[in-house]
Amino acid sequence: MKKQEVQGVKKTPLYDIHIKLGARMVEFAGFYMPVQYESIIKEHKTVRSNAGVFDITHMGEFLFEGRDVISFLQYIMINDLNLLEPSKGQYSIMCYENGTVVDDLVYYEETPERFRMIVNASNREKDLEWLNDHIGNQDVKITNLSDERCRLAFQGPNADQLFRPLVDVDLSKINRFYFADCNLNKTPIFIARTGYTGEKGFEISFENKYAEKIWNDLTNTGASPIGLGARDSLRLEACYSLYGHEISDSITPIEAGLNWLAKPKEGIDYIGKEILLNQKSKGTERIIVGLNLIERGIIRENYKIFKDGQEIGYVTSGGYSPTLDKTIGLGLVQSQYSEVGTELEIEIRGKLLKGIIVPIPFYRNV
Amino acid sequence: MDYKFPDNLKYTSSHEWVKIEEDIATVGITDYAQHQLGDIVFIQLPDLGTSVEKETSIGEIESVKAVGDLIMPLSGQIIGINENLADSPELVNSSPFEEGWILKVKFSNYDEVNNLLSVNKYKELVQSEEN
Repeated sequence: MKKQEVQGVKKTPLYDIHIKLGARMVEFAGFYMPVQYESIIKEHKTVRSNAGVFDITHMGEFLFEGRDVISFLQYIMINDLNLLEPSKGQYSIMCYENGTVVDDLVYYEETPERFRMIVNASNREKDLEWLNDHIGNQDVKITNLSDERCRLAFQGPNADQLFRPLVDVDLSKINRFYFADCNLNKTPIFIARTGYTGEKGFEISFENKYAEKIWNDLTNTGASPIGLGARDSLRLEACYSLYGHEISDSITPIEAGLNWLAKPKEGIDYIGKEILLNQKSKGTERIIVGLNLIERGIIRENYKIFKDGQEIGYVTSGGYSPTLDKTIGLGLVQSQYSEVGTELEIEIRGKLLKGIIVPIPFYRNV
Repeated sequence: MDYKFPDNLKYTSSHEWVKIEEDIATVGITDYAQHQLGDIVFIQLPDLGTSVEKETSIGEIESVKAVGDLIMPLSGQIIGINENLADSPELVNSSPFEEGWILKVKFSNYDEVNNLLSVNKYKELVQSEEN
């Protein structure tokens, strides 16, 4: 009993496989994506204990070529590309002039004149426009590879062990955030040691035509298919920011606690630099904190946070933590109430439940 | 999708099931409802002894991804609550019609019972929601 398909919603090359596996499909960022195959909790625990395969083809993939790629990106990104070298990737953010966020992303230096970038699914078009608008007369050519390539994540404590027999590259030589081009059972792939789960693992990208073969090769290792539901609960436990939640076009990276990302880059100007460095040295009025509930209940995004009857912020992400078996969340609160141990109240459908600010991340094993 | 529809039960359009034994009704949510919610992680229930009108929300069922209301199928007094659900809310997923029952209501208005859905009517409702 298939739900009616909505026109204009895209399918990844793995759509038919997800359906065959009995996945519950949802529309997310313009794609039909699997939210769960059987159970979000089971899938979550599988990634924490063994390994899982995620279809993340909805994300964007761009190629940058030209003599000016590094200086171009230095002006747009808040992280410092001088810390990069060929075969290494970097997590970064691009900001508006006011310091709020266009998107967070990872780029990989293949050569000083050739970079690959992976961006959020919901920001693909906006990012491309933002990037193209800033090229001017620089020697930079951007190619959108999003629709011709397939992207998967392979994550979990056993990811290395299960992946090793499939590839013709020495995985032990690929450190965190480094990458390589190699073959997976004779199929050419891009492989990076990155992820969004708080576990060890890889993210790979390859031409669409290999999608089914590679999916099968990966799931035949004993790793399980994992949907977007567990992807979100895993990243929340690991406290990785999610665009539209902890960072957005109304929240700066410093408010999100990503101070380390906004680099001084002496002698190099970049968009948002002045505001970010100012916020970094003087602090911000609001800041992202970790939350637990003292009373029983589940907190979810946009629930209001109070201190002694006064509204001091809101929940940016919240839910049940399968690893810790308790309610966890992140909230944006006024900085004077942001100390760990501060007790507060969170409004859950008209009722105020007691919560407390706790250290973050809740869980990471990388 | 194959859901279970025990035919000794009555149903509501908000996906509760009701088992009538004399003047006591046992209430839970259907297999279809638990499947729609996904992994259930917390159930907020009223206190024992509370009197509630039919069709009012008396509890919240939180899953990993969503929250659903538990709607009172009959007016009456809450005389039993499944205490096991406090520590094992997942029983509603694994055994929605048996171990995952949610509460017991003492009711007096039999007309309300007659207005509940038969198993066939409820099956039709689920089929139309599925399509």
